Amino acid sequence: MKNITLKVNGKICELEVRDSELLIETLRERLGFLGTKYSCLEGDCGVCTVIVDGKNVLSCLMLSADCDGAEVLTIEGLGKDGEPHQLQKSFVEKGAVQCGFCTPGMILAAKALLDKNPDPTDKEIEKAIDGNLCRCTGYMKIVEAIKDASRKIKPNDQISISKR
Amino acid sequence: MALLRDFKFHSPDTLLQALALLEQADSPVLLAGGTFALNTLKKSSKYPTDVISLRKIPELNGIKTQDKELWIGPMTRIDELIGSRFIQDSFVCLKEAALKLGTTPIRNMATIGGNVASRFYWVDLPAVLIALGARLEVVSQDGGRVVGLYDYLTEKKLKKEIVSGILLPLENRGAYHFRHTCTVQEVDTPYLGLTFSFTRGKEGLLDVRAVVNTTLSFPVFLKGVSSVLQGLGYKEISLDDMRKAVCEDIKNTKLDEYRIQLLCVDMENILSLLNGKAA
Repeated sequence: MKNITLKVNGKICELEVRDSELLIETLRERLGFLGTKYSCLEGDCGVCTVIVDGKNVLSCLMLSADCDGAEVLTIEGLGKDGEPHQLQKSFVEKGAVQCGFCTPGMILAAKALLDKNPDPTDKEIEKAIDGNLCRCTGYMKIVEAIKDASRKIKPNDQISISKR
Repeated sequence: MALLRDFKFHSPDTLLQALALLEQADSPVLLAGGTFALNTLKKSSKYPTDVISLRKIPELNGIKTQDKELWIGPMTRIDELIGSRFIQDSFVCLKEAALKLGTTPIRNMATIGGNVASRFYWVDLPAVLIALGARLEVVSQDGGRVVGLYDYLTEKKLKKEIVSGILLPLENRGAYHFRHTCTVQEVDTPYLGLTFSFTRGKEGLLDVRAVVNTTLSFPVFLKGVSSVLQGLGYKEISLDDMRKAVCEDIKNTKLDEYRIQLLCVDMENILSLLNGKAA
């Protein structure tokens, strides 16, 4: 077992994890953040996407012990004081959510994009979500929702994540 | 149920510590970005006793010039490679190949060292790096050595070593990169990659290197193609000559008919690009 410290959604967590435990397992099984989904577990589908130290990454391909000291953002940490984040609002308003399974990963990929590029083009949005598969809606409404959020997000709405 | 079976995890702070751990462990695996290694562990019957992460070793990070070479730390992530001013200025072809590699989250995690040292047939960067003349710094407890990337990949006897640097000659070299994918279960997977590099002399193209990532074997040097193209600009080369050279070069490869056709189309594109520019 390894003792690690993670800052998850702004809260410091001191944890004892198995050496071979994946970040997705720690987030779901130990910390109860069920918005991070299990699916392909091979890095193809993107439903396990979280933001680690400002970058959207795949929690099914990271060992928790290797993330010691990292700052992690899951979908549960995105809104503030019970108020959904603008990306979440835009996804609902634009009909970009159907079954909802890909949505947390999709929104976090979009969040990582907007943090570094607040006014992306459609092509840049498509590139940013290239690691997230949706089997319901196609991608047009998702791109539309991200574009909509980019217009409505004010600079001070961004949550800053420092680099490790 | 746990997704990975048990192993002992180590996170050394220095290269020396990592080498000592590598030597002591019965069946170790080195962990760089994890996108290949951890995926492999989920499916592998041959399981490691120890996983050694290289993430916290500062000597393995960074990009810098030294003498007439660019030194790239093997733990440099693909997104860092793409963002590097050195790479953007001097190795456009490498940047283009890195941009096409995997997906955004994979590029945020995977490292250039992992891409090379995984010795996995599908990976994109080795063919590009070989065409650009890359050499590797490799260290073990017995000392260090510098080896050409192609030789490193095709070495039979694998020692307990760590790639500690990737060296690229800083020379005025032109290069083109082509990549083809096929869609498997909605995911674009590499199918064929071709990198072509050269220098320009008074008598046309010099030091021509054409290297193919077949995705079926280690990168393949197209020696015949390189030799045919040597001196282009000074001599005329027909499409027919080029096709003949390609067919000769790939005789002993496992390339199927479709890949061969893709390769011939890429070669034709290269020829028209070069004829336009070399004239």
